[in-house]
Order: sequence, then C-alpha cells, then structure tokens
Amino acid sequence: MPRFLTDQLLNELSSQTERQLMLAVQQWQNLSDEQLLARPTENSWGVADCASHLNYYASYYLPKLRKAFEQNKAATPVFKSGWLGDYFTKLMQPGPEGDLPKKMKAPTKSLPPAIQNPRAVIARFIENLEEMTQLLNLARKRSLQSPRIPISLSPLIRLTPGDTLRFLVAHNERHVLQAMKALQRNTPAPGNKIILVQ
Amino acid sequence: MDSSLQSLRELVLRLYPLPEPEMEALLAIWVPFSAKRKELLTSTGETEKYLYFVEEGVQRVFFTAEDGREATLVFMYPPSFAGVLDSFLLQQPSRYQFETLAPSRFLRTSYHQLSTLMRQYPEIDRMIRNGLAITFSGILERLADLQCRSAEERFRILLKRSPQVLQLIPHKYLANYLGMDPTHFSKLMGSVRIG
Repeated sequence: MPRFLTDQLLNELSSQTERQLMLAVQQWQNLSDEQLLARPTENSWGVADCASHLNYYASYYLPKLRKAFEQNKAATPVFKSGWLGDYFTKLMQPGPEGDLPKKMKAPTKSLPPAIQNPRAVIARFIENLEEMTQLLNLARKRSLQSPRIPISLSPLIRLTPGDTLRFLVAHNERHVLQAMKALQRNTPAPGNKIILVQ
Repeated sequence: MDSSLQSLRELVLRLYPLPEPEMEALLAIWVPFSAKRKELLTSTGETEKYLYFVEEGVQRVFFTAEDGREATLVFMYPPSFAGVLDSFLLQQPSRYQFETLAPSRFLRTSYHQLSTLMRQYPEIDRMIRNGLAITFSGILERLADLQCRSAEERFRILLKRSPQVLQLIPHKYLANYLGMDPTHFSKLMGSVRIG
C-alpha cells in the first residue's frame, strides 16, 4: 500500500484545492448564466453541471469528514493509504497532460438535475471548497487513519479520512478540468475588464 | 523582506510625511507572517495582538450576531493596514473576527512595540493619528452610504471604485458587505460584463 508523509500529502491536496478555488473566484462566479449552462454537446456537461455534481459529493462527504476530525485523535506523521482508497483516487486522477481518464458513467443519483440558478450553484461550489480548505488545515492536527467513512455508493465500503480527502480532491480536479474544457469550447476566455451595463 | 518594507514605507508616506530617523525606527519593528485561506487570525473575545500590513491576499473583519447572522464590516487588501483596530489600540477583547479570504502575506508588529515608539517619537504618534483619521473618514462615508443609498447604488459605487473585488473575493462576502442577500447580488451581476 502507498505511504505518504502526512505534511507533504496535505500540502499537495491544499494547493490543488486552492487552484480550483482561484479559478472559481476569478472566473466562474463572474460568468453569465448562459456561459454557465452551455453544454458542448447535448449529452455532455457544462460548467454548472460539473459544479452541481461536485456539490452533491461535497454535501455527502464534507460533514462526515468534519465529524471524523472532531473525534480528536493525535496527528500521524505518515499516512498509509488503503488499497481501495488508492484505487478510487487513481481512477479519478487526470493524466500528466491534464487529459481526462476513461469516461465513466456517473451514478444516476449524482447526475445534475435541471439547473434553475447557475450562480447559486457556483456560490455553493465556492463555499464547499472553502470548507474543504478548512478541513485540510484541520487534518494537520488529526489522524488521517480513522475513523473510516462509508462511501456514498455503499455503506459497506469505508475509506479512511486520508483516502476520502485524496479521492475528493482528485474527483474535484477531474470535473474542474472537464468544466474548463467545456468552457473553452463554448466561449473565449474572459479577460479582466469589468464593464457596467446600464 | 526588503521589497515588503519598501511598500510599507510608501504606504506610511502616503499617510504622513514621516522624517527619516522616525521612519527607520518604525520599519525596524515588523516581522513577516503568512496565512492560508479562511484562517481565523483574531476571534471574538480575544484581544488583538498585532497590527498587520497586507502584502498579498484579501481579508475581512466581520461581526457575528447571536442568531448567527454575519456582518462583513471591512475588506483589506494590499497595500493597507489590517487587523481589529479598536481592539488593538484599546487593548480590549475584540467584538469582531478577522479572517483571511485568500492565502495572505503580511508584515506585523505588536502593540507593545508600536506603543513604545508612539511614546518615544511624537512624529510616529502623529502619523498613527493621521492614519486613523483617514480610516475614520472612510467609516463615516460608509455609514452615510448605508443609510442614504440603495443596495443597487452601493453595488455600482463599489464596482466603480474597486472593480477588481469581483475576481478576488467570493461574491457571498461582497453581497454581505453591501447588505443584500446573495440572490439580489446575483441579479445585479446580470448587468456586469467582463470582457
């Protein structure tokens, strides 16, 4: 099983999360409803779809992580990943060129429903990433080994808090990349000029 | 460190023409400090230990009511001073919280060091007084805005004065600062084009 120096692992997860947050704050929250809703093709997701899908996962996992960390256990300098946690994380991770891994069918429950208010979805996405940032900071003083957290698909499969964090960050990265690609296909990247329209 | 002291020097000179010997004494008391996003640097009931100079990042000072509602009182971004100023200067427990809204770099100094210099050098005392008067004048202006202007006018004034905040600060906090709910802010964003 892979082993990680806890500090190093958390630094890496924190900086990935920070990059995702910067993108959402600088760009996504300033896009128009049309840009957020635009889908590259009828059956593929746009920015709001990706964010909504990630919000679904965050609303399941973040409260469970917070609860796990509240059961205050001393920090461990080395984190041992479980084989299943490592497998799930690698399944999500984009390739070295930022290419998306094999297309997967998202579980039906997590498919985004018709989005009414795309800006509210992005606001929620930013809030979730802020909570993620705070959990990653808290994790430095907590055990990444226990207690285990059931995955959203089955209460029978449980991952350590460390593997849950790794999986979530990789899953975020996957769909943030997907959203960026969808956006590039639909619109030129917005610049920095802010214009007030009457 | 040198370039941070240089920008601190520039900010001080904008507040007050501090003579060189006093400037050197003032620049000698600062220590670098950094924080991640969403770190609470001062919490309610705690006495503010530091005056911060912001080099990078965004922060806010906010109030939390008994029912959990928040009021964002002020944002801080470079180059400016930061922290819970009243708690710092009066050395009494803070009613407010001070947190980062982005990864941030600061210089900071303690109350003991600054107040020693203020007693020792009348010019430093005057510089601080001038800085506070400028801050006070900003607060009065905001109070007048809050009572006399509509939320929409405040939105337009903010964007005219500091358009960069839209890409720097999660809109939730901007809406809170302007005293409107996030849905109203979203609607107003419909009139903004970024291109």
